[in-house]
Amino acid sequence: MGTDAVVLGAGTAGMVAALRLAAAGASVLVLAEGEGGLPLAPAQIDVLGYRPQLVLDPLGELAGFLESRPDHPYQLVEAGEVGASLDWFLELSAPLGYTGSPRLNRLQPTGLGALRPTCLVPETMAAGDLSDGGSVLVVGLRGFRDFHAPLLAENLALAHPPSGAEVRARAVEVSLPGDPRDLRPQLLVRRLEERGVLAELGREIRSRLEQEDLVGVPAVLGLESSHEVWQGLQELVGRPVFEIPTPPPSQPGQRLQQHLFRALRRLGGEVRLGARAAGYRARGDRLVAVKVVTAAREVEIPADHFVLATGGIGTGGITAGPDGELREEVFGARVSRGGAPEQPLVEYMATQPLDRVGVEVDEEQRPLGGGGGALFENLWAAGAALAGAEPWREKSGEGISLATGFRAARLAGGARA
Amino acid sequence: MNTLDTDVLVIGGGSTGAGVAWDSALRGLHVTLVDRQDFATGTSGRFHGLLHSGGRYAVKDPGSARECAAENRILRQVAADCIEDTGGLFVSTPEDDLEYADRFLAAARAAGMEVEEVPVGTALRDEPRLNPKIRRAFRVQDGSIDSWKMVSALLRGAEAHAATVLPYHKVVEVLRHGDRVEGAVMEDQRTGQEVRVHAGCVVNAAGAWSGQVARLAGCEVGVRPGKGVMVAINHRLARAVLNRCHLPSDGDIIVPVRTVSVIGTTDHPVADPDDTECSPEEVHQMIEAGELLVPGFREARALRVWAGSRPLLPKTGGSAGAGDREVSRSHTVLDHGARDGLEGLVTIAGGKFTTLRLMAEDTVDVVVRKLGRGSECRTRTEVLPGSESRHFYWIGNRQQEAETDPPDDPLICECELVSQHDLDTVVARRPTWRLDDIRRALRVGMGPCQGGFCAFRVAGMLHQEGRYGRAEANSALREFVQERWKGVKVISWGAQARQTRLDRWIFEGLYDLEHLPE
Repeated sequence: MGTDAVVLGAGTAGMVAALRLAAAGASVLVLAEGEGGLPLAPAQIDVLGYRPQLVLDPLGELAGFLESRPDHPYQLVEAGEVGASLDWFLELSAPLGYTGSPRLNRLQPTGLGALRPTCLVPETMAAGDLSDGGSVLVVGLRGFRDFHAPLLAENLALAHPPSGAEVRARAVEVSLPGDPRDLRPQLLVRRLEERGVLAELGREIRSRLEQEDLVGVPAVLGLESSHEVWQGLQELVGRPVFEIPTPPPSQPGQRLQQHLFRALRRLGGEVRLGARAAGYRARGDRLVAVKVVTAAREVEIPADHFVLATGGIGTGGITAGPDGELREEVFGARVSRGGAPEQPLVEYMATQPLDRVGVEVDEEQRPLGGGGGALFENLWAAGAALAGAEPWREKSGEGISLATGFRAARLAGGARA
Repeated sequence: MNTLDTDVLVIGGGSTGAGVAWDSALRGLHVTLVDRQDFATGTSGRFHGLLHSGGRYAVKDPGSARECAAENRILRQVAADCIEDTGGLFVSTPEDDLEYADRFLAAARAAGMEVEEVPVGTALRDEPRLNPKIRRAFRVQDGSIDSWKMVSALLRGAEAHAATVLPYHKVVEVLRHGDRVEGAVMEDQRTGQEVRVHAGCVVNAAGAWSGQVARLAGCEVGVRPGKGVMVAINHRLARAVLNRCHLPSDGDIIVPVRTVSVIGTTDHPVADPDDTECSPEEVHQMIEAGELLVPGFREARALRVWAGSRPLLPKTGGSAGAGDREVSRSHTVLDHGARDGLEGLVTIAGGKFTTLRLMAEDTVDVVVRKLGRGSECRTRTEVLPGSESRHFYWIGNRQQEAETDPPDDPLICECELVSQHDLDTVVARRPTWRLDDIRRALRVGMGPCQGGFCAFRVAGMLHQEGRYGRAEANSALREFVQERWKGVKVISWGAQARQTRLDRWIFEGLYDLEHLPE
């Protein structure tokens, strides 16, 4: 079995580490208990959005942010490596038309109409940066329960980008032909890939346009052929069109996942889904193999290098027990609360006890054991598995995953050489 | 200011007040009922949902047991649509005194309960998750009762007999003329507008809050709020209500309620009935207690925790040091005319959900005497709206409806199988203000996801239909998220901890609720 590297977890961090290792010539196997985290998320690449005040220049403001956050995973990486990982991602994801810069946040509408800072977005969302204002026609699909254009537009019209520019928004609802019970994201993407359905939608939107110079739609513009659907709709409507993220299952997330999986396969790597890592075998301070449960039996997968990118409590990489104990499930690595309080706060929108939970690592991103030293010399952690971040409130998740996944691959690659 | 004239002003829209409204309306009296919040948001909406057979009180409080047994029978006839006929078991666990079981059986029979000892093997066959070490088992007529459905049916029934019901109307002043109460002034909590109601008789049915209402009238009611903690578990761990056969104590009842099981409860005196915070210690006490009835209870997924305040009325001269379980669970009608020389005011204190009908009957008997009119009580036989078919509900009802008559609109809550049509029906019936009110009517947000997916849908749809303005939709959503957090923050472990992470990602990461305009 000649696997050089095993990566646990098929989310952003795991895929980045796997792709970087594979690009450097390693044979790579990615294992995920479920289907990986990417189909949940809207495929926007956050780097740093709130500290807690709005961040306009993520890379420029990173050092200032970290002064008050000694436990933050960005402490592990140089700003240069954050930038390098984003540049690499932009290049890798060129087929999805990713655009943006880590030196300038974009302000994109959420499904509720908040203006949310993020860094890189796919081409299908690119026109939705309202930093300099704009006039948006928000288009809802009648009966689609996960997108409510009127509320979105009314909130959006109250947004104040720091530029002082005005945001205007108006909502319309259009009907798609067919059964309203089919208005689920995973079915909508397929229907909009039908030329006739798209043409009817485009005509309907065009007829409802007034002075708006932009058109925002729910993020269901096709799956395999999202470029053609998005481009086609823009032509039909005669205005730039952008997607607004909807709750899971996220279609832009699916697109990004398929793209990253394919890229890895092209480099000779493999992704195995539905494979739960349940244990390991070690020799001294070297990890020799992980034990994986697939099809109800346990198999041992040996490798030279291992990356732990199973995420935190939200994805099952870490579990919380009734007595407050926190456990990293595969290796029993040391888990920290990352400076969050022990007791829950009454106010929901505050730092809660489980918000920063993750594994503790040494300077080389190696998870620590009970004794305080690195568990294994050939195991590195990356992404949401790391303690100390509040990715959703800070809008920092993908940036952390990219930078630490990128670095984990470099450290593992260095160890290889 | 709006002014209304009515025969009976009922303060409190829980089970007691709703029962009084229904009873009064059937006797031909004009009723106005007010509550400071939505209906059944206090104690009635915050208990375990047990329709008592009487077994719990059989040994210790035979009077209460007799009342429960009789009222249980009546409610099954008149309110079937609000009841699931789960049946109940009292079991002697290895920690329970077997001699108590003999006393229990004798006392239960004496109280008029239908009770039957069943072989342990039979009980274990019927309830495979029950502790295999139980030594005796008794089958009783416990049930599971949907308090929101029940209160809603009582109020709809009263409204059909010309009653006026006013949610979100808080009493700010009790109108007195000398030693006579003549009505009250309410403030609409949504608009700030005041309503003045002149009444022939005022009924203080505010339960654990009745001391506060009585003080507004210038008299004292010694109601002592007793906090009880409940935990909902993500599965039905039993078919029947499971009770420990021992003197009532904490965490000794598990009630199957719709898609979940509820374990309860504790009993701690609290100064403020609105103090319903639950501590991690109280939750652990419940989980450990559950383990004794159902081994493996610890590993089950806890969905939510909450507490309610019982309206306990210690008997005059009762020793102040006695624990709350020493206080009778029976009820008392206080005629303030006879008691305090203050005519026109009646307080109904104590009691419990199962005996709500009897409480109402006893109260309205006094009211009728005072008003000098009103007919005989009819609630023993008058069937409540929705219960005409006399069919109990069962867990498969919603699934069956969805399969036999599929709605042509999408589900908005997958956990509890709620369609947009259901939502529209409920908001058309009564204009609601908060998402939490819709939750009580439809169970939206009560399943495993605790509102992560459906709260946004409901807020968006109600905004779209013009029932919410923009700011109202935002604050309704914020408030709902905050309210749900209250019930999950002390049970953040296992699968539910994972779920709270997903919900947090949706609200903060995806929607950025924190940075939404007001």
